[in-house]
Amino acid sequence: MELLYRRSLGPVVGAFLTALREQRLLGSRTAEGRVICPPLEYDPDSGDAVDDLVEVGSAGVVTGWSWVAEPRAKHPLPHPFAWALVQLDGADTSMVHALDAGSLDAVRTGMRVQVRWAPERTGHITDIACFEPEAS
Amino acid sequence: MTDTDPQVADDGPVRFMPQLISLDYTVRTNPVAAAFGEALADGRITGHRCPSCSLVFVPPKGFCPICTIETTSADEVVIEDRGMVTAWTVLTPIQYHGQQERKDYALASILLVGADGTVGQQRLIDIPLDEIRPGLMVEAVWAAPEDRVADDRGYGLGTAIDGWKATGEPDAPASEYEGHTL
Amino acid sequence: MRDVAIVSFAQAGSLVDTAESETQMLLPVINAAIEGSGITRADIGFTCSGSADYLAGTPFAFVANLEAVGAWPPISESHVDMDGAWALYEAWVRLQHGDVDVALAFSSGISSRSDLGEVLCLQNDPYYLMPLWADHVSLAALQARALLDQGLATEADLAEVVARSRRNAAANPSAHPDVRAAGDLSVDQLLEAAYTVAPLRAADCPPTTDGAAAVILVAGDRAREVCDNPAWIRGIDHRSEAHYPGLRDLAHAGSARLAAEHAGVADAPIEVAELAATFSHEELLLTEALGLGADTEVNPSGGALASNPMMVSGLIRIGEAFRQINEHGKHRTLGHAASGPCLQQNLVCVLEGDS
Repeated sequence: MELLYRRSLGPVVGAFLTALREQRLLGSRTAEGRVICPPLEYDPDSGDAVDDLVEVGSAGVVTGWSWVAEPRAKHPLPHPFAWALVQLDGADTSMVHALDAGSLDAVRTGMRVQVRWAPERTGHITDIACFEPEAS
Repeated sequence: MTDTDPQVADDGPVRFMPQLISLDYTVRTNPVAAAFGEALADGRITGHRCPSCSLVFVPPKGFCPICTIETTSADEVVIEDRGMVTAWTVLTPIQYHGQQERKDYALASILLVGADGTVGQQRLIDIPLDEIRPGLMVEAVWAAPEDRVADDRGYGLGTAIDGWKATGEPDAPASEYEGHTL
Repeated sequence: MRDVAIVSFAQAGSLVDTAESETQMLLPVINAAIEGSGITRADIGFTCSGSADYLAGTPFAFVANLEAVGAWPPISESHVDMDGAWALYEAWVRLQHGDVDVALAFSSGISSRSDLGEVLCLQNDPYYLMPLWADHVSLAALQARALLDQGLATEADLAEVVARSRRNAAANPSAHPDVRAAGDLSVDQLLEAAYTVAPLRAADCPPTTDGAAAVILVAGDRAREVCDNPAWIRGIDHRSEAHYPGLRDLAHAGSARLAAEHAGVADAPIEVAELAATFSHEELLLTEALGLGADTEVNPSGGALASNPMMVSGLIRIGEAFRQINEHGKHRTLGHAASGPCLQQNLVCVLEGDS
């Protein structure tokens, strides 16, 4: 069963995905100064609207992870990888994405990772191909 | 599909995203639907007669939704491949990509002789659209035996019947179908 | 608040690869719940169901499911695209209106016809997470990691939960046959298994299960007239977390804690808690969030790890909590239900017997 949807994005999600195409990452800053990345249109704590978008870094720290030994057909990577929660530099929340780390032993909470950009970017979350260990 | 193609807006703000959702299902045909399908392949339309209220359901459900009791193959009855139109609609096919239909056509609900509920979405064949009326008697035009594939979830008559043509009998009186709006 | 009690519960808790339609599966279960209640079908004033058509891939199956209720002449009914525990919640709210006294809540789910690892991706947000096809096991494993990282659990603790669940499931005819057949497994044996999605192993994850369940709720004195030992709903509440998993500390279930507070869990000791912990670590997380102490017996049925019919597992937990009072003479029990990735939504129902 297959259905194709066309989703409208709005000013916040749209801006985030537009910036991905330009290899930039945006977060939304709440009234209290918390930076949420990927950004939301509202503060999850108060429900207040948020429209202040700020740029965050394209590298950050792993705050949690799981290891997929056998990727599913639709997973972002065809070989074993980690799902990681990545708190980008300048952000206060974490993004869930794939982390191409080579092996389970190479992943740990607290490690530094950076975005690996997709060669062709279209304004989609998969413009981030995955994260990878930060070049030292 | 240009509206959903993300490549279109190269430099402007991204305002939409395409989302293709594809899911695979394994449909298991329940035993009641399987037995119904086998009968259809043999050119018979069967139903279950509720042992409590005597209503005949076509296709059979394996239960009576009025009495909420289970029905089984012991309750199976063969009904006629002939019945009366209770309701219909005329469809004008919009020529979207993949549309197979070219001309206006009618789909009808048909109350089969021996059944207590209609079968819906049935194609009427060789009947002028302005001559369709409630009570019009029709009979099945069966598909070739090898083309009779039942719906795997047990809905409707699958591809067993190509459509329904007028029998030429007098119309059924309203008293025979007035309880069936659809 | 109007006193409302569960007086009857029935389940087809662990069907495997059922060929039946959801309606066929539901019919005997609903009939059994009604017969067990001693109330006639015509006396039911409100019906609420829970199911998700995505699971079996049958659009509007939730409408066809009403045929299992006996919906003619027309009845007053509603549906939630949630676990049946939320259908029970809606039925409880409906009974608070005061004009009807009896309600039926039921739910059904056929998980075996689809790949849950794909279907459940659709419960994630459509912009950031769904397109990555981050499956529910992978996300659950992130939550398990959070517990390990914060020193709140070890992998051996997870295995302990699995081992106990399996021991308990052995005595539960409604537990999944594969889980029952596997027999007792020691913690060491469990830890020898390879990871499915580390840090979770196959035994930390629930079996694919089809099933259905139904309960009858009755308000006021009528509950005592029809049932020797009704289980009164003393508190019921449901709360949810922010949707995106990266926004919260996954090592704590704040919404479960809130629901427990509002349901009055701490007002008196809980003898038995049935928790919809579909992954082993969730039981540890929920036990802490709900404030359950060592004197509370958790998941004597084996819990959701032993049988997890999607959309039904939570309602079964409340049904099992009811049985602890109705059949086993306990006084105060708890049923919990969850929905969404990483315990995003939690419902807590506190039940009390008269004795």
